[in-house]
Amino acid sequence: MPHYLEGSRNSCALHGALQLFEAIEGVVPVIHSTAGCGVQYYLGGTRMSGGNDPFGSPPVSSSNIGQKHVVFGGGSRLREQLKNTVKVVQGDLYAIVTGCSTEMVGDDIPAMAREGRDQDWPVIYANTPGFSGDVHHGYHLAVKALIEQLPDIWKKPEEFPSGLVNIWGIIPNQDPFWRGNLQELGRLLEGIGLVPNLLLGSEQSVASWQQIPGAVLNLVLSPWGELPARLLEERYATSSIILDGLPIGTATSTLLRRLTEQLKLDTIRTEAFIAREDSRLNFQFARLADSYYRAGFQREFTLVGESAQVVGIAEFLGTSFGLLPRTLILTDNPPDSVRQRLVTRLAAIVSGYDSEVIFSEDRSEISDIIRSSEAQLILGSSLEREVSVELGIPFLALSFPLADRIVLERSYAGYRGATTLLEDIGTALLAFSREYHLC
Amino acid sequence: MSLLRPKAPRSREKRLDTLGAWLGTVSVASKEFAGDEIPQRIRTFAQSSNDDLLYALRILAGIRDSVTIIHGPRGCAAAGLHHIASRRNNTHWIVTNLDERDTIMGADGKLRKSVVALYRRYHPSVVFIVGNPVIAINNDDIQSVVEELHEELGLSIVPVYVTGFSSQNAVSGYDTALHSLLKYLTGEASAIEKNESLNLLSVAEHPQDRKEAQHLLEELGITLNVFPDDSTIDVFRLAVAARASIPLCPDAPEYLGAILQQKYKVPLLDVSRPVGIEGTGRWLKSIATLLGKEDTAEELHSGKAAEIARQLGSFSLKGVKVYISLSSANAFSVLDLVEELGGEIAGLTLTHLDRLHIRHLDELAARNPSLQIHVSDGQAFEEISILRTLTPDLYLGDSTHVAQVARLGIPAVSLESLALVGYSGVVRLARRIKIALANHSYGDSLAKVNSPYKDAWFRRSHNWHIKQEVK
Repeated sequence: MPHYLEGSRNSCALHGALQLFEAIEGVVPVIHSTAGCGVQYYLGGTRMSGGNDPFGSPPVSSSNIGQKHVVFGGGSRLREQLKNTVKVVQGDLYAIVTGCSTEMVGDDIPAMAREGRDQDWPVIYANTPGFSGDVHHGYHLAVKALIEQLPDIWKKPEEFPSGLVNIWGIIPNQDPFWRGNLQELGRLLEGIGLVPNLLLGSEQSVASWQQIPGAVLNLVLSPWGELPARLLEERYATSSIILDGLPIGTATSTLLRRLTEQLKLDTIRTEAFIAREDSRLNFQFARLADSYYRAGFQREFTLVGESAQVVGIAEFLGTSFGLLPRTLILTDNPPDSVRQRLVTRLAAIVSGYDSEVIFSEDRSEISDIIRSSEAQLILGSSLEREVSVELGIPFLALSFPLADRIVLERSYAGYRGATTLLEDIGTALLAFSREYHLC
Repeated sequence: MSLLRPKAPRSREKRLDTLGAWLGTVSVASKEFAGDEIPQRIRTFAQSSNDDLLYALRILAGIRDSVTIIHGPRGCAAAGLHHIASRRNNTHWIVTNLDERDTIMGADGKLRKSVVALYRRYHPSVVFIVGNPVIAINNDDIQSVVEELHEELGLSIVPVYVTGFSSQNAVSGYDTALHSLLKYLTGEASAIEKNESLNLLSVAEHPQDRKEAQHLLEELGITLNVFPDDSTIDVFRLAVAARASIPLCPDAPEYLGAILQQKYKVPLLDVSRPVGIEGTGRWLKSIATLLGKEDTAEELHSGKAAEIARQLGSFSLKGVKVYISLSSANAFSVLDLVEELGGEIAGLTLTHLDRLHIRHLDELAARNPSLQIHVSDGQAFEEISILRTLTPDLYLGDSTHVAQVARLGIPAVSLESLALVGYSGVVRLARRIKIALANHSYGDSLAKVNSPYKDAWFRRSHNWHIKQEVK
């Protein structure tokens, strides 16, 4: 029996499905639920990741069921809403998502989607009641719906680009830097001769999702990408590389070498690419060294975020930048099957130094942990700003929810993301020192 | 007691014939509301809009030293992040995180445990338990948890029975929250002696608006109970013994004012928002009349009005066609302000329309009978269609789709975080408008992004999807 949650940063399955569908150009979610579900998503999701509002509004189609539908069923209301959505809203694909109310009433959603398809409308559906799980579950449900139902709508393309790699596990908004992170990963894959299938973000449309069966590999970047990889292995026998988190800085070279080996790519090309990227990052390190020592960048930090971000950022800062991961708080409730693996890995990032690894999504519990951690730098979400002010510790907001930053294409992944992260952490530390006249 | 006996008040559509979907001229609206029967309208295509739960949360967010427990699945508390980020108070936002099993078996045990744990952790002065679709459909027994734990812990626990579906108008959520606050927090009216203070009813207002109104009244030498925004629960006990209630808006706190009047005999002043120079003056004078302070109010008004005129200088909206899209009472007040500044009204979108607005409709129908009124909360597709036809020079709105409107290339000013109340509000708005009209370049950039809607929709009539409800 799950415990109550204070100030939770993981909303419900419906909202998780909405953020996945809204991240694909041309996909129109059709909410079958009460009127407020879409506005809750807008206030607690879209607005908490400034710069991620595709429609300039809350989701653009919602059946807004009333008392009558709760009592007598909402199937006919959905039929009407779907028909009119196709007429009013531009889209390549319409995705029905459901809320708690219509699921409790028992509306037959697959039948409604089938009726739509019989009219030749491109319609898929996902049963996403909020009570079925959190945003990560919603990501799974939406991805699964696309993988399983798209082949019923469109024939498999005749040809696929060679060296195509699907990228999984980066969740829109839950990773506030998802667009930039995907773009940087795409750049890196192209750098060693692969063709990235980013699936989400700019220029990623239903066409990208139709390419999925033709990939040579699934690249999984968080525990949440394991399910789609498994589904594709079953359906198309695509193999996978599974990482626990984002590759940042030198970890990127390990991934690129692994890809080169597994896919038998041109080693000389890969090594030349890595050498160029490595040397560039090393110069960045060198150029900020004066500030680093003068303002005392080297310190113990607390990091609060989704597991993919925590793994990537903590390892980069711990293994290349001399910082010490005091306390690492993973907020995304990773499945039990990976928890031990994550703890073992994260507790020993810096040899001879024990990092504390905690799973929590409760704001007050997280604040208490931070208070007792004695960290000298807090990297977390906007929800941690208050405790950082209370403790008088420098702070950078980098995980969801981000209430006071605009993120358009900024990245904290790969080589370029490593540079950006250094800029942002350095800026936060210098600004703090100035404010308190410490240097 | 009978007024507050039910778990929740009747919805606005039952009480005031509130419409959430309508399109027509103001003269037709005025005629329709002169009749006894006002048929409800529904939409055959709809977009997300506020519900009673979201509006109730706006009120609860303003009560100090409180814990708000949303007894439902995670998503019903998502807006809590928005309220935390607004940093307007120290409310603790809790969700009981109901799962599938709870929707079958009920979850009052989970609720009970949460209340006890949160009481021990925070010792708040009040705990709110907020309903939602899951709890409403399941008919979970919140009431016995409230009664037992109130007894056991000696704690004020207030259940707020919003459902997300029983009213088509989110504004009903204000009534439901206020109903519960009054029912559980006022205590015995007879236990408190009548006092000379006045109630300033402020519901989900911008903090600066509330403070502005408060300062103006304090300049008249009035002692105030300001609530429910940013108030403690003790204010409710004082409020029932006040001399009169002044609403900061005739719409949002209407139920609060009406119950105080009917049940506790605290007269409610019927007056528009203190927005605009003359609007603020009228508001002040109506209160002053009650207190016999007409001269002081007149002096205050003429001094402030002269000062604002000086600050406005040559600013004028002459020749500017303005479209207004706001919550209803706010829209009527901003309309007056735009006209006061010399502007022309291109059209109106109101979140809802009901019997509280009859006076405004009649006045407007006499002055500008062909003015078009659109009633909608969140139905951006209709508004975009209307705006493409009317091509106003300026859009003033507070909806969550201002950004979509701006893609039409129309200069837009969002009033969501702009304090408009009082004399200084006039200057703030004038400055924002001046800036918006001076540089269209961002709107021009936005206009290059494709509309979410099909051209076929724009060839339909704006009210194509608004139908009379078949009972």
